[in-house]
Amino acid sequence: MKHIADSYFRILEQVVFADDSELVELNLSEAFDLGRSLMEEMTPPDEVIQIHHDAIVRLAAMYPDLPFAKVAERITKPFMEMSMAYGMAFREQMERRYQAMIISRLEQSRLEAVGTLAAGIAHDFNNILGSIVGFAELAGDELEVGSTGQGHIDQVLIAGFRARDIVNRLLTFARQSPTNLIEVDVVSQVKETLSLLSVSCKPDMEIHFKSDLDNALILANPGQLQQVVMNLCINAADAMNHKGHLFVSLEFCNLASREHETCTNAVCLTVKDSGHGIPPDVQDRMFLPFFTTKAPNKGSGLGLSVVHGIVTQLGGNITVQSRYETDNPGTEFKIFLPLADKFTLTLNRDAQ
Amino acid sequence: MAHILVVEDDEQFRGMLVQMLTQDSHRVTIAHDGDEGVRLSQQLRPDLIITDIIMPHKDGIELIMELSNLSVDIPIIAMSGGRRAISAEFNLESATLIGVKSTLAKPFTRNDLRQAIRQALA
Repeated sequence: MKHIADSYFRILEQVVFADDSELVELNLSEAFDLGRSLMEEMTPPDEVIQIHHDAIVRLAAMYPDLPFAKVAERITKPFMEMSMAYGMAFREQMERRYQAMIISRLEQSRLEAVGTLAAGIAHDFNNILGSIVGFAELAGDELEVGSTGQGHIDQVLIAGFRARDIVNRLLTFARQSPTNLIEVDVVSQVKETLSLLSVSCKPDMEIHFKSDLDNALILANPGQLQQVVMNLCINAADAMNHKGHLFVSLEFCNLASREHETCTNAVCLTVKDSGHGIPPDVQDRMFLPFFTTKAPNKGSGLGLSVVHGIVTQLGGNITVQSRYETDNPGTEFKIFLPLADKFTLTLNRDAQ
Repeated sequence: MAHILVVEDDEQFRGMLVQMLTQDSHRVTIAHDGDEGVRLSQQLRPDLIITDIIMPHKDGIELIMELSNLSVDIPIIAMSGGRRAISAEFNLESATLIGVKSTLAKPFTRNDLRQAIRQALA
């Protein structure tokens, strides 16, 4: 701030004492740039006024004989430029925020619509799968045990049950009504899930876990948290080609500061990878059901939509930061989940 | 073997079920919805009822409750594939609460079916 105050003072000084109009213009455009950067740094308006006031006081102290009445217009000019730029930048920022809000609402309703539609066909789908699986078994029983035909039928059955799993995950995504919510400890659930994952993980990949909390209770269906952690970690591992370090951490955070009206205390789950990052066009669509960048048979395109569905149902939210095509690529998912109540958290002293 | 009433609105699924049951030497009667299911249960008094949950007109839950009100004491197996925001498990849990003997989430295997029948008739 001192640096900005000094720059502004020099601008004011030059404008007041300049002999030629070009120098005045040059300094005014500098004042304009200063106004924009003040907005970028989120300086409050009264501090912007204060910068001008301080500069005048400094000018008066430095040049006691300055005829203020004669230079009044010149004194006002840089302030006008600076505050005009500040105001314009403020407006632009508001518009950007408003646009982002509209887009996120649109996205939300689109996801809900897709979820409702998909879940609406779940019943018919399972009936159809029931027929496929049942008739395949009947056909299989006509064939000799161990025959090639029987082998093909077994594949039909496996495919049928895979399809059933997809239907079940769609239902998880669409289920908005909180049924069977119980207090679940995030810390132990995350630990458990990670130990499951580390068993199946490739030797070149290492999972690091850190928690600032001993325990953190949230209201959830048992298993939901496991799904969230699983899906995020599987995506991260894929993005890193199963090589390198994956960081998972838990910390206390405050959702109120994130303009969340209904709850204050929350737990933040971070899953950070050093993978290839997510291209911006993929970021726009990655929460949609059936959207996937993985090869056929490698992913159903439901992982992140399930994560989104669960987190929304639990009253939380998700942020994603991804560096794509940079020297240091990687992705960081943050999941904020409201705590069951404010007394359900104890700090992990070992981690301090 | 047993006389089984199959209450199922999906024709293809019903056909598959009838095949499986008759191959295991059960005698099978079919009903296309809950209303017909209630009527045939009273008339024929089968040994076992296998009913779908989601059906037009009268659903499986209504059928189970109505039979219980009519004091028709026949073991029931409930099947479901879930719907909208309700999973198959939730439908089947509700069915268990109102007294069905065993449940099957669609799709299921022939072994699952045999086991459910054994359990229901035990």
